[in-house]
Amino acid sequence: MIHFDEMACLLYLEGQLDPPREREMALHIGECDACRALLRALERESRVLAAALTEDNEPMPARLLSTRGWGMPSWVWTLAFGVFAAGAYWLWTDSIDPWLQQLSNAGFGGTDLISMLLFSGAFWEGWGNMIDALQIAAVVIVAIVAIGLLRRRFRRSTTVAALMSGLVLTLALPRPASATEVRRDESVLVPASQVIHSDLIVSGGSVRIEGTVEGDVIAFTGMLTVTGHVTGDIIAFAGQMRMEGTVDGNIRVISHTVTIDGPVGKNVAFIGNTFDLTQKGQVGGSLITVNGDADVDGRIHRDVLGMIGRTHLDGGIGGQMWLRGRNLTIGPTAEIGGPAIFRGFRQPIVASGAKLASPLRVERQEESRRLIFSAIRILVHEIVSFGAALLLGVLLVTVLPGFFRATLRETARIGLPIGVGALALIAGFFLLVLGVLLILVGVGAGLAGVLGYAPIVYVAQVFVGAWLGNRVLGEASNTTGAIIGRIALGLLMLHAVALIPVLGELVWLAVALWGTGAILLGFYRMSRPEPAPLSA
Amino acid sequence: MDARRHPEGMNPADQASEKEQIVRARAGDAEAWGELYRQYAPAIFRFCRRVMPTREDSEDATMDIFIKVRQKLSQYDSSRSFSAWLYTVAANHCWDLLRRRKGRQDLETGEIENMPLEHPDPGQLEQLIERHTSQEVRRALDKLPARARMALVLRYYADMSYDDVAATLGVRRAFVGVVLLRARHQLREVLGERGASSPPRRAAGGAT
Repeated sequence: MIHFDEMACLLYLEGQLDPPREREMALHIGECDACRALLRALERESRVLAAALTEDNEPMPARLLSTRGWGMPSWVWTLAFGVFAAGAYWLWTDSIDPWLQQLSNAGFGGTDLISMLLFSGAFWEGWGNMIDALQIAAVVIVAIVAIGLLRRRFRRSTTVAALMSGLVLTLALPRPASATEVRRDESVLVPASQVIHSDLIVSGGSVRIEGTVEGDVIAFTGMLTVTGHVTGDIIAFAGQMRMEGTVDGNIRVISHTVTIDGPVGKNVAFIGNTFDLTQKGQVGGSLITVNGDADVDGRIHRDVLGMIGRTHLDGGIGGQMWLRGRNLTIGPTAEIGGPAIFRGFRQPIVASGAKLASPLRVERQEESRRLIFSAIRILVHEIVSFGAALLLGVLLVTVLPGFFRATLRETARIGLPIGVGALALIAGFFLLVLGVLLILVGVGAGLAGVLGYAPIVYVAQVFVGAWLGNRVLGEASNTTGAIIGRIALGLLMLHAVALIPVLGELVWLAVALWGTGAILLGFYRMSRPEPAPLSA
Repeated sequence: MDARRHPEGMNPADQASEKEQIVRARAGDAEAWGELYRQYAPAIFRFCRRVMPTREDSEDATMDIFIKVRQKLSQYDSSRSFSAWLYTVAANHCWDLLRRRKGRQDLETGEIENMPLEHPDPGQLEQLIERHTSQEVRRALDKLPARARMALVLRYYADMSYDDVAATLGVRRAFVGVVLLRARHQLREVLGERGASSPPRRAAGGAT
């Protein structure tokens, strides 16, 4: 007798034989014990398999139990972005837009804020340093997000909504100050005879204060002129500002030009292009500034901390001076009461008559003119930073494998992490502007920012690199070596791209946003409740 | 048919209410969708758990599958069984992941090799099966190459037709039986050799 083989038996069992063959087999089985036994054994095997596969031996993980876990309800995002958009819109219509209009009135010529700040030809090249400051400010946001997300009690929706509301609230805060006078007109004049017994918030094409303000002045204007007396602070976004009167408090201003031709009781903080402290001008406290061109003829009673393109010092500085920039000229009438440090490209010129309490310490940055040398330097820098990043990646994979995996998974979502990263950066920018003007970020906060935020931006490349590596070589299995290999390849690609002038910068901006977002999301994933332990 | 694997195989009233749920979920009703999710997520999670190498992978896959399903819900042909469609989406997703991850050699997607055509001894086979617990069988399954494991799970857990198995694995339909039988042989081999004695792969795979 011819037996059927095992294949045929299996197909018969599963009803996959064509009808004639099936009939033939059915007949055969009726007569053949061996084939019947085989069929029975196979059927039994099927049952055991099905049972083994179906049997429940472990609980559903917690993160899958909640129906909220697998996908954000769209309304949360809608709400969050809605709140954010509303905040941005408010800021735009109420502050930035009128200010921009006034800026263009003041001769800045129709360009938008960012391009004015970043690309204005007259501006100092040192804006690279400002970008660092932006990152520093963004850390505040990152910290808030991280703290918010790490708190398990809050769900992500709550956190995002709370964060956004908080941000909008922060933006809205400076406005509804009590007992405030608000003026808005094409041109605002506080005449000499007038005394305002409260804060003054003012916006207009030009603002002129000849009278007295017994409080702070907050101004958004093309041209701000103060010839009167302000007992509080002056906070201003202005095309130009000229202070000929008296200010008892601080001056904090973002402006193209600032001229101080009278006494200021406390500190001056200035971001802009040209700073002029005339012989009649005096600053009771310190000067903190980022600007292109500074001419100091008057006296600053305490310290100067600045990143200034060209500095001309003929006046006096009571405390110490710390400067970064390109040129520094110290005239014969200048005085510096404390230690003075200058870090820059050119050797500073110090007139013989200048009275310096201690010799000027100069840290010169070599301005390499030789192209090859600079190319090699860039290459070496790239290689070193590649090595450092790889080392960091290895550390992450080995020390924090869970976090690494979670973040890598977030990286793969592409859109979401880039969005989150961008949001963090935008929020950081808003905070920076407010921070500089209203709170004045201190050195401590700056340091904390560098310590907190820079690593995140730096680590960002590891995840994007790992993702890239996975794309090229296929997803890594669980072996650490394979994962590290993929990170190395991805990082190599990124650092190679970095050598291309413009494209490299764009790519790295994207990498920073993307990776930062992924890390934030990774933090969030890690903060969620752990699944129940394996029972099997 | 197992109700846990195929919740709709219950009674007509439940089936009707499920159809309604699908219609509502398709229209964007979050509650109806949540209901569907609660109903099917455990089965899909178990499916992923059988197919994917680590617990973490299974969790991720389950989430991704349901995100996909929700997006694709409008493409679901309501004349088909919902769970069958769900398993097709799940199988394609997992198989895609596995294929991308491992490269070809591990999955043996190449030519199907010669099958051992001799009759196994039915008595020995039954004995082999009897001797092992479900858990041991599962551990042995974990040791199989991905395609063999996938084939067994698709057929004996998800109750997929040969056509669907063929489409998912990308083999010709005529080969499905060969793949399944070969997988069974490999399973028997593992059970026969080291089966219960060696530690489970999953523990080593690291569900960190």
